[in-house]
Amino acid sequence: MLEAFTAWLGKTPLSAFVAGQDWVVPTVQTVHILAISVVVAAVVILHLRVLGVIEQNQPIGVLARRFVAPSAVAIGVLALTGLLMIAGEPNRALFRYVFWIKMALLALALALSGAMLRGLRGNAAWVDAAAPPPPLYKGLAAGLLLVWVAIIVAGRWIGYAEGWPGSPS
Amino acid sequence: MSAVGEVINWLQTTQLSTTIRESDWLFPAIECVHVIAFVTVVGSISVVDLRLMGLASKGRRIDETIESLLPITWIAFAIAAVAGLLLFVSKPITYTQNFFFLGKMLLLLFAAANMGAFHLFVHRSLAGVPAEAPSPLAARASGAASLALWIAIVAFGRWIGFTTLG
Repeated sequence: MLEAFTAWLGKTPLSAFVAGQDWVVPTVQTVHILAISVVVAAVVILHLRVLGVIEQNQPIGVLARRFVAPSAVAIGVLALTGLLMIAGEPNRALFRYVFWIKMALLALALALSGAMLRGLRGNAAWVDAAAPPPPLYKGLAAGLLLVWVAIIVAGRWIGYAEGWPGSPS
Repeated sequence: MSAVGEVINWLQTTQLSTTIRESDWLFPAIECVHVIAFVTVVGSISVVDLRLMGLASKGRRIDETIESLLPITWIAFAIAAVAGLLLFVSKPITYTQNFFFLGKMLLLLFAAANMGAFHLFVHRSLAGVPAEAPSPLAARASGAASLALWIAIVAFGRWIGFTTLG
Protein backbone atom coordinates (compact mmCIF):
# COMPACT_ATOMS: atom_id res chain seq x y z
CA MET A 1 0.00 0.00 0.00
CA LEU A 2 2.87 2.31 0.90
CA GLU A 3 4.45 1.49 -2.46
CA ALA A 4 1.23 2.30 -4.33
CA PHE A 5 1.06 5.61 -2.47
CA THR A 6 4.64 6.63 -3.22
CA ALA A 7 4.26 5.55 -6.86
CA TRP A 8 1.20 7.81 -7.14
CA LEU A 9 2.89 10.65 -5.24
CA GLY A 10 5.91 10.49 -7.54
CA LYS A 11 3.67 11.18 -10.55
CA THR A 12 1.98 14.28 -9.11
CA PRO A 13 2.81 17.81 -10.38
CA LEU A 14 3.85 18.71 -6.81
CA SER A 15 6.52 16.01 -6.88
CA ALA A 16 7.71 17.23 -10.28
CA PHE A 17 7.90 20.80 -8.98
CA VAL A 18 9.92 19.94 -5.85
CA ALA A 19 12.26 17.61 -7.74
CA GLY A 20 12.47 19.79 -10.85
CA GLN A 21 14.39 22.84 -9.63
CA ASP A 22 17.69 22.83 -7.76
CA TRP A 23 16.66 25.55 -5.33
CA VAL A 24 13.40 24.08 -4.05
CA VAL A 25 14.71 21.30 -1.78
CA PRO A 26 17.36 23.41 0.04
CA THR A 27 14.81 26.21 0.44
CA VAL A 28 12.21 23.85 1.89
CA GLN A 29 14.86 22.37 4.21
CA THR A 30 15.91 25.87 5.32
CA VAL A 31 12.31 26.72 6.24
CA HIS A 32 12.04 23.33 8.00
CA ILE A 33 15.15 24.12 10.09
CA LEU A 34 13.94 27.66 10.93
CA ALA A 35 10.64 26.15 12.14
CA ILE A 36 12.63 23.64 14.22
CA SER A 37 14.42 26.63 15.80
CA VAL A 38 11.07 28.06 16.91
CA VAL A 39 9.95 24.75 18.47
CA VAL A 40 13.35 24.16 20.11
CA ALA A 41 13.46 27.67 21.61
CA ALA A 42 9.99 27.15 23.11
CA VAL A 43 10.83 23.63 24.32
CA VAL A 44 14.17 24.67 25.87
CA ILE A 45 12.75 27.77 27.59
CA LEU A 46 9.59 26.09 28.97
CA HIS A 47 11.26 22.87 30.08
CA LEU A 48 14.27 24.58 31.67
CA ARG A 49 11.77 26.82 33.49
CA VAL A 50 9.88 23.78 34.79
CA LEU A 51 13.23 22.33 35.89
CA GLY A 52 13.99 25.58 37.72
CA VAL A 53 17.08 26.46 35.67
CA ILE A 54 15.95 29.75 34.04
CA GLU A 55 13.19 32.37 34.25
CA GLN A 56 12.52 31.57 37.90
CA ASN A 57 10.71 34.88 38.44
CA GLN A 58 8.21 34.08 35.66
CA PRO A 59 5.11 31.95 36.32
CA ILE A 60 4.96 28.95 33.96
CA GLY A 61 1.58 30.08 32.62
CA VAL A 62 3.05 33.40 31.44
CA LEU A 63 5.83 31.62 29.52
CA ALA A 64 3.35 29.10 28.09
CA ARG A 65 1.21 31.95 26.75
CA ARG A 66 4.28 33.40 25.00
CA PHE A 67 5.64 30.20 23.50
CA VAL A 68 2.96 27.52 22.97
CA ALA A 69 1.06 29.21 20.12
CA PRO A 70 4.21 30.00 18.03
CA SER A 71 5.35 26.38 18.42
CA ALA A 72 1.98 25.11 17.25
CA VAL A 73 2.29 27.28 14.12
CA ALA A 74 5.89 26.08 13.63
CA ILE A 75 4.78 22.43 13.89
CA GLY A 76 2.26 23.12 11.11
CA VAL A 77 5.08 24.58 8.99
CA LEU A 78 7.22 21.51 9.79
CA ALA A 79 4.46 19.14 8.66
CA LEU A 80 3.99 21.11 5.44
CA THR A 81 7.69 21.36 4.56
CA GLY A 82 8.15 17.72 5.59
CA LEU A 83 5.39 16.70 3.16
CA LEU A 84 7.06 18.73 0.39
CA MET A 85 10.36 16.91 1.00
CA ILE A 86 8.56 13.55 0.83
CA ALA A 87 6.72 14.62 -2.34
CA GLY A 88 10.02 15.56 -4.01
CA GLU A 89 11.56 12.16 -3.31
CA PRO A 90 8.76 9.73 -2.30
CA ASN A 91 11.02 6.67 -2.04
CA ARG A 92 13.50 8.38 0.29
CA ALA A 93 12.01 8.81 3.76
CA LEU A 94 8.94 6.58 3.87
CA PHE A 95 10.88 3.32 3.48
CA ARG A 96 13.43 4.07 6.18
CA TYR A 97 12.88 2.79 9.73
CA VAL A 98 14.37 5.99 11.19
CA PHE A 99 11.61 8.10 9.59
CA TRP A 100 8.90 6.08 11.37
CA ILE A 101 10.91 6.17 14.62
CA LYS A 102 10.96 9.96 14.26
CA MET A 103 7.18 10.06 13.72
CA ALA A 104 6.57 7.82 16.75
CA LEU A 105 8.84 10.00 18.93
CA LEU A 106 7.05 13.10 17.64
CA ALA A 107 3.64 11.65 18.55
CA LEU A 108 5.02 10.79 21.99
CA ALA A 109 6.46 14.30 22.47
CA LEU A 110 3.22 16.02 21.44
CA ALA A 111 1.06 13.75 23.64
CA LEU A 112 3.33 14.18 26.68
CA SER A 113 3.61 17.97 26.13
CA GLY A 114 -0.18 18.26 25.99
CA ALA A 115 -0.56 16.21 29.17
CA MET A 116 2.15 18.25 30.91
CA LEU A 117 0.56 21.59 29.98
CA ARG A 118 -2.91 20.42 31.04
CA GLY A 119 -1.53 19.16 34.35
CA LEU A 120 0.45 22.32 35.06
CA ARG A 121 -2.53 24.53 34.27
CA GLY A 122 -4.23 23.20 37.40
CA ASN A 123 -1.11 23.72 39.51
CA ALA A 124 -0.07 26.72 41.60
CA ALA A 125 3.17 27.03 39.54
CA TRP A 126 1.06 28.11 36.54
CA VAL A 127 0.32 31.51 38.08
CA ASP A 128 2.77 31.74 40.99
CA ALA A 129 6.49 32.03 40.14
CA ALA A 130 7.41 31.16 43.75
CA ALA A 131 5.56 27.81 43.67
CA PRO A 132 7.81 24.98 42.44
CA PRO A 133 6.17 22.52 40.00
CA PRO A 134 5.71 18.96 41.38
CA PRO A 135 8.62 16.51 40.79
CA LEU A 136 6.51 14.55 38.27
CA TYR A 137 6.55 17.56 35.94
CA LYS A 138 10.28 18.07 36.39
CA GLY A 139 10.80 14.45 35.35
CA LEU A 140 8.51 14.95 32.35
CA ALA A 141 10.38 18.12 31.34
CA ALA A 142 13.77 16.39 31.49
CA GLY A 143 12.42 13.39 29.57
CA LEU A 144 10.83 15.59 26.91
CA LEU A 145 14.07 17.51 26.32
CA LEU A 146 15.73 14.16 25.55
CA VAL A 147 12.86 13.08 23.27
CA TRP A 148 13.19 16.31 21.24
CA VAL A 149 16.95 15.72 20.90
CA ALA A 150 16.17 12.20 19.64
CA ILE A 151 13.63 13.61 17.13
CA ILE A 152 16.24 15.97 15.64
CA VAL A 153 18.87 13.21 15.49
CA ALA A 154 16.37 10.84 13.81
CA GLY A 155 15.44 13.61 11.36
CA ARG A 156 19.06 14.22 10.37
CA TRP A 157 19.58 10.47 10.07
CA ILE A 158 16.85 10.12 7.43
CA GLY A 159 19.36 11.65 5.04
CA TYR A 160 21.99 9.02 5.83
CA ALA A 161 19.95 5.84 6.40
CA GLU A 162 19.33 3.08 3.84
CA GLY A 163 15.84 1.90 2.91
CA TRP A 164 14.63 -1.30 4.50
CA PRO A 165 15.11 -4.61 2.62
CA GLY A 166 12.98 -4.88 -0.52
CA SER A 167 12.02 -1.19 -0.61
CA PRO A 168 11.90 0.65 -3.95
CA SER A 169 14.96 2.78 -4.67
CA MET B 1 51.17 28.57 -2.17
CA SER B 2 49.88 31.06 0.38
CA ALA B 3 50.40 30.51 4.09
CA VAL B 4 46.67 30.02 4.56
CA GLY B 5 46.62 27.46 1.77
CA GLU B 6 49.43 25.53 3.43
CA VAL B 7 47.60 25.49 6.76
CA ILE B 8 44.43 24.24 5.03
CA ASN B 9 46.36 21.49 3.23
CA TRP B 10 48.10 20.48 6.45
CA LEU B 11 44.79 20.46 8.33
CA GLN B 12 43.39 17.96 5.84
CA THR B 13 46.32 15.58 6.51
CA THR B 14 45.86 15.58 10.31
CA GLN B 15 44.68 12.44 12.09
CA LEU B 16 41.52 14.25 13.30
CA SER B 17 40.55 15.23 9.75
CA THR B 18 41.18 11.75 8.37
CA THR B 19 39.30 10.03 11.20
CA ILE B 20 36.13 12.13 10.72
CA ARG B 21 36.33 11.98 6.91
CA GLU B 22 36.77 8.21 6.72
CA SER B 23 34.22 7.29 9.39
CA ASP B 24 30.71 6.32 8.27
CA TRP B 25 29.00 7.78 11.31
CA LEU B 26 31.24 10.52 12.82
CA PHE B 27 30.30 13.26 10.33
CA PRO B 28 26.52 12.76 10.66
CA ALA B 29 26.85 12.42 14.45
CA ILE B 30 28.79 15.71 14.74
CA GLU B 31 26.29 17.25 12.32
CA CYS B 32 23.45 16.28 14.71
CA VAL B 33 25.21 18.06 17.59
CA HIS B 34 25.80 21.09 15.32
CA VAL B 35 22.10 21.18 14.28
CA ILE B 36 20.74 20.81 17.84
CA ALA B 37 23.07 23.56 19.08
CA PHE B 38 22.49 26.06 16.26
CA VAL B 39 18.69 25.71 16.23
CA THR B 40 18.91 26.62 19.94
CA VAL B 41 21.08 29.64 19.03
CA VAL B 42 18.76 30.79 16.25
CA GLY B 43 15.60 30.13 18.27
CA SER B 44 16.75 31.99 21.38
CA ILE B 45 18.14 34.90 19.33
CA SER B 46 14.85 35.14 17.40
CA VAL B 47 12.94 35.55 20.66
CA VAL B 48 15.19 38.52 21.52
CA ASP B 49 15.05 39.92 17.94
CA LEU B 50 11.25 39.79 17.82
CA ARG B 51 11.12 41.46 21.27
CA LEU B 52 13.51 44.20 20.06
CA MET B 53 11.29 44.70 17.02
CA GLY B 54 8.28 45.03 19.31
CA LEU B 55 6.55 42.07 17.64
CA ALA B 56 6.49 39.47 20.44
CA SER B 57 7.01 38.99 24.20
CA LYS B 58 5.66 42.50 24.62
CA GLY B 59 4.73 41.86 28.25
CA ARG B 60 8.39 41.37 29.17
CA ARG B 61 11.00 44.12 29.51
CA ILE B 62 13.64 44.08 26.73
CA ASP B 63 16.61 43.99 29.15
CA GLU B 64 15.04 41.07 31.07
CA THR B 65 14.30 39.18 27.85
CA ILE B 66 17.95 39.49 26.84
CA GLU B 67 19.33 38.69 30.27
CA SER B 68 17.24 35.54 30.70
CA LEU B 69 18.15 34.03 27.31
CA LEU B 70 21.75 35.13 26.75
CA PRO B 71 23.31 32.22 28.74
CA ILE B 72 21.36 29.70 26.64
CA THR B 73 22.42 31.42 23.41
CA TRP B 74 26.11 31.49 24.39
CA ILE B 75 26.31 27.89 25.65
CA ALA B 76 24.57 26.65 22.50
CA PHE B 77 26.77 28.86 20.32
CA ALA B 78 29.95 27.43 21.89
CA ILE B 79 28.73 23.87 21.18
CA ALA B 80 27.69 24.77 17.61
CA ALA B 81 31.07 26.41 16.98
CA VAL B 82 33.10 23.42 18.23
CA ALA B 83 30.94 20.94 16.27
CA GLY B 84 31.12 23.21 13.20
CA LEU B 85 34.89 23.42 13.49
CA LEU B 86 35.10 19.61 13.55
CA LEU B 87 32.91 19.39 10.43
CA PHE B 88 35.18 21.96 8.76
CA VAL B 89 38.35 20.07 9.76
CA SER B 90 37.06 16.92 8.02
CA LYS B 91 37.19 18.61 4.57
CA PRO B 92 38.95 21.99 4.91
CA ILE B 93 40.03 22.20 1.25
CA THR B 94 36.47 21.58 -0.01
CA TYR B 95 34.93 24.09 2.40
CA THR B 96 37.40 26.92 1.80
CA GLN B 97 36.59 26.66 -1.91
CA ASN B 98 32.82 26.68 -1.31
CA PHE B 99 30.90 29.92 -1.93
CA PHE B 100 28.21 29.19 0.66
CA PHE B 101 30.73 28.24 3.37
CA LEU B 102 32.70 31.47 2.85
CA GLY B 103 29.44 33.43 2.63
CA LYS B 104 28.20 31.89 5.87
CA MET B 105 31.42 32.87 7.67
CA LEU B 106 31.06 36.45 6.37
CA LEU B 107 27.41 36.58 7.50
CA LEU B 108 28.47 35.29 10.94
CA LEU B 109 30.95 38.20 11.12
CA PHE B 110 28.14 40.64 10.20
CA ALA B 111 25.90 39.10 12.89
CA ALA B 112 28.72 39.45 15.43
CA ALA B 113 29.31 43.09 14.39
CA ASN B 114 25.58 43.82 14.66
CA MET B 115 25.49 42.25 18.11
CA GLY B 116 28.62 44.17 19.18
CA ALA B 117 27.17 47.47 17.98
CA PHE B 118 23.92 46.72 19.82
CA HIS B 119 25.71 46.04 23.10
CA LEU B 120 27.95 49.12 22.72
CA PHE B 121 25.37 51.67 21.62
CA VAL B 122 21.83 50.45 22.35
CA HIS B 123 21.73 47.90 25.15
CA ARG B 124 22.53 50.27 28.05
CA SER B 125 19.78 52.70 27.10
CA LEU B 126 17.24 49.86 27.46
CA ALA B 127 18.05 49.09 31.11
CA GLY B 128 14.96 49.33 33.28
CA VAL B 129 12.73 50.58 30.43
CA PRO B 130 9.19 49.33 31.23
CA ALA B 131 7.68 46.65 29.00
CA GLU B 132 4.87 48.97 27.88
CA ALA B 133 7.29 51.56 26.40
CA PRO B 134 7.59 51.33 22.59
CA SER B 135 10.82 49.75 21.36
CA PRO B 136 13.31 52.46 20.21
CA LEU B 137 14.13 52.67 16.49
CA ALA B 138 17.76 51.58 17.02
CA ALA B 139 16.60 48.48 18.90
CA ARG B 140 14.07 47.64 16.17
CA ALA B 141 16.70 48.04 13.45
CA SER B 142 19.19 45.90 15.36
CA GLY B 143 16.61 43.14 15.91
CA ALA B 144 15.53 43.17 12.27
CA ALA B 145 19.14 43.02 11.03
CA SER B 146 19.92 40.16 13.41
CA LEU B 147 16.85 38.14 12.38
CA ALA B 148 17.59 38.63 8.66
CA LEU B 149 21.25 37.68 9.13
CA TRP B 150 20.47 34.50 11.10
CA ILE B 151 17.89 33.37 8.55
CA ALA B 152 20.51 33.89 5.83
CA ILE B 153 23.11 32.01 7.91
CA VAL B 154 20.78 28.99 8.20
CA ALA B 155 20.07 29.12 4.45
CA PHE B 156 23.76 29.37 3.51
CA GLY B 157 24.55 26.56 5.95
CA ARG B 158 21.96 24.29 4.35
CA TRP B 159 23.27 25.15 0.88
CA ILE B 160 26.79 24.08 1.90
CA GLY B 161 25.47 20.52 2.21
CA PHE B 162 24.12 20.60 -1.34
CA THR B 163 27.26 22.04 -2.95
CA THR B 164 29.96 19.93 -1.26
CA LEU B 165 28.65 16.45 -2.06
CA GLY B 166 31.16 13.73 -2.86
